[in-house]
Amino acid sequence: MLTIDGARGEGGGQVLRSALALSLATGTSFRVERMRAGRPKPGLMRQHLTALEAAAAIGEADTEGAVIGARELVFRPRRLRPGAYRFAVGTAGSTGLVLQTILLPLLTAPAPSSLTLEGGTHNPHAPPFDFLAGAFLPLLRRMGARVDARLELAGFYPAGGGRMAVEVAPVRALAPLALVARGAPRRRRARALVSRLPRKIGDRELAVVRSRLGWQDDELEVVVLAEGMAGPGNVLLLEIESQHVTEIVTGFGEVGVRAEAVAEAAVQEARRYLAADVPVGPHLADQLLLPLALAGGGVFRTLPLSRHASTNIDVIRAFLPVSVDVARVGDAAVEVTVRA
Amino acid sequence: MPDNVVIGMLGSTLDRGGPDRWRQWRPTVDLCRHEDLLVRRFELLSQPRFRRLAEEIVGDIRTVSPETEVRLHELALADPWDFEQVYGALHDFARGYPFRPEEESYLVHVTTGTHVVQICLFLLTESRDIPGRLLQASPPRRRSDGGPGSCTIIDLDLSKYDRLASRFQRQQREGLSFLKSGIDTRNAGFNRLIERIEQVAIASTAPLLLTGPTGAGKSQLARRVYELKKARRQVEGPFVEVNCATIRGDAAMSALFGHVRGAFTGALQPRPGLLRTADRGVLFLDEIGELGPDEQAMLLRALEDKIFLPVGSDREVRSDFQLIAGTNRDLGQAVRHGRFRDDLLARINLWTFHLPGLRERVEDLEPNLDYELDQWAARHGTRVTFNREARAAFLTFAASAEASWPANFRDFNAAVVRMATLAAGGRVTTAVVEDEIARLRALWAPATADEAEATLRRFLGPGRIETLDRFDRAQLAEVLRVCASAASLSAAGRTLFAVSRQRRTTANDADRLRKYLARFGLDWATVLDRRRAQ
Repeated sequence: MLTIDGARGEGGGQVLRSALALSLATGTSFRVERMRAGRPKPGLMRQHLTALEAAAAIGEADTEGAVIGARELVFRPRRLRPGAYRFAVGTAGSTGLVLQTILLPLLTAPAPSSLTLEGGTHNPHAPPFDFLAGAFLPLLRRMGARVDARLELAGFYPAGGGRMAVEVAPVRALAPLALVARGAPRRRRARALVSRLPRKIGDRELAVVRSRLGWQDDELEVVVLAEGMAGPGNVLLLEIESQHVTEIVTGFGEVGVRAEAVAEAAVQEARRYLAADVPVGPHLADQLLLPLALAGGGVFRTLPLSRHASTNIDVIRAFLPVSVDVARVGDAAVEVTVRA
Repeated sequence: MPDNVVIGMLGSTLDRGGPDRWRQWRPTVDLCRHEDLLVRRFELLSQPRFRRLAEEIVGDIRTVSPETEVRLHELALADPWDFEQVYGALHDFARGYPFRPEEESYLVHVTTGTHVVQICLFLLTESRDIPGRLLQASPPRRRSDGGPGSCTIIDLDLSKYDRLASRFQRQQREGLSFLKSGIDTRNAGFNRLIERIEQVAIASTAPLLLTGPTGAGKSQLARRVYELKKARRQVEGPFVEVNCATIRGDAAMSALFGHVRGAFTGALQPRPGLLRTADRGVLFLDEIGELGPDEQAMLLRALEDKIFLPVGSDREVRSDFQLIAGTNRDLGQAVRHGRFRDDLLARINLWTFHLPGLRERVEDLEPNLDYELDQWAARHGTRVTFNREARAAFLTFAASAEASWPANFRDFNAAVVRMATLAAGGRVTTAVVEDEIARLRALWAPATADEAEATLRRFLGPGRIETLDRFDRAQLAEVLRVCASAASLSAAGRTLFAVSRQRRTTANDADRLRKYLARFGLDWATVLDRRRAQ
């Protein structure tokens, strides 16, 4: 059985989620040792247990060690079982992270699936819904996937209470993807989402975007989310649409952090992306590695890889007979090539 | 792994509702937000007047923790600061709750609710009415970080804590050593006895009965039991000691139970009596078999109801004391002869401990010698030591069959005190020991003729002696004297046939002795029986 060192690289939940996705997609059983060994609270935590249980459900998998605090666990998928699923995620976990675990395997399943994911849809340290729907899924569709996601209710940390619906239709095989240039700028848009908080927070964030990025008033929008939201929340979404790709940068509003500071951090990230003249930002790079590996090929240019990305590459090499090469291109960019 | 079930009271102050509630730390909701604690069920106790808040909290828990099933229980508490009411309501809840400790792990949340609620939850957990562990939540270090703070699980089962367990062991060892007055005794039977007494003395307030021959240390042990209980804060009152043989007759009633002024001629002042003085302390009644029938009746009442009537008084008085009784008589026999009340005996011999005489504990002679020398040094400020030969000579004599130690440790103590007094320059020499051995022989010898009579009477009963030839009397008396202090029939046989057994290859001393005793209608069981009846 394949053994994964859970403390390697990023050494956290990403190792497990990537391993689960690849295990389901390839039908390979695996064992994780030293699960999150170097973390302050080591072992399996609730959000990982949620992802594990979701993966076990769609893969009819047997698990060992699926308990809080486990340092070792075994996952043996039997067969993919597409269908209608509803997964409720507790506060600290994100619906996006659960989707990341089960979406790719379901793409390769023999029949369509329909997922309802409840919980946080805009959590710090996780891809928010808008990023998944606006940046990641379009690229998957370009690779042949038929997948649609709809936000029914936004759920912000800590209250959660959001809901997204995802429809997945099977594809025989994913097609390789080449993404080495952004192409001509098409459109840019800054949206400040505000739930159960003063609208002024959004105004102040957009004021920073206007002055620091020079975006125009018609590119700026405050979205006040209707009643029905479980709790308060705020995110700033900077969407940069180019000819070949759309990137979305997110800033998460936090209690005790000024709106200007939230906006400034997002603006910095957007400027780094724009200055590097690469099509793929750091978060999108994390997401693209697995689909490219499953497609058996592809290439993209991005900023220097994060620890998440290099960890994903390690896990991919364990499950799939593909080569992943990372080559420097210029001062602040790399080209990632996946070959069968 | 068992599922976690939290039992907790809704905190009407901390578990806030309203639009700003997500900016606050709310113990009940935030308990369900911990990444490393999965709460499968929450038994949320609440009062009817907080129903709206409770429902809002239940909804919030469902949002942040879909894994958690929440059950709301309403307790009608008119005054949540009233201990009796709160304890009663929570006790009812605990008694009615279908605990399944094999499948579920119960966590009792003690961060919310009034302090009285928290205390009652603690008490019910400590008493195992709720078979769970305590759960204490704390807010995040920065209120604004939106995190759930931290929580600590506290297991009240002290045996699960290694360092505490070793602390209790140490305390127990100290208790044992204390009961033995610090004497490092080696006799296994005696050490087991002390262990048991320590357990009982700490755990029980029922009467203790100490039996054993005179000088075996009953009185000293009773005082040590009291001091141990006092050190463990189990008694507040004094230690009151009386030898019942010294207060016979009319004075006994008054000495024990007190009298009022003018109760009898000469009763000019009222007297509280020893039982009253021992209130909340320990009363040691030595030679309890010597109490007269009236005193026995009154004592029984005092033990059962904790009340009695002083002489000449028509008002009962209360006294709550622990009784330690001492006796060297067979109280069972005294009951059969109508000299002791059987109901009183039943009341006091719940815990009976037989203290062996010195001859049954020859291994302990040496540690007791050291103890007596330490005591001497403590009293006189100078140390007395034995030279090696002197020490060996004394211990050999002390352990020999010749040394009968009729008053046991009292005799032994007197011998050591005499040698210490006569030790020139603090050194006990062979000469001093030889002097003392001669003195002891002389002390015990005059009694020998009478003692032979007494021994025979004790084992045969008075009528039988006259049927024996004088020729047999002397030999039988010596045989029985050895039997009186031997650990077993075989041990007695080895002592009696010590010379001839060296010449023989097979040693059937026990059999020879058994046959010899049988000639006089005696067997070992009878010998033991009579020994105890001394």
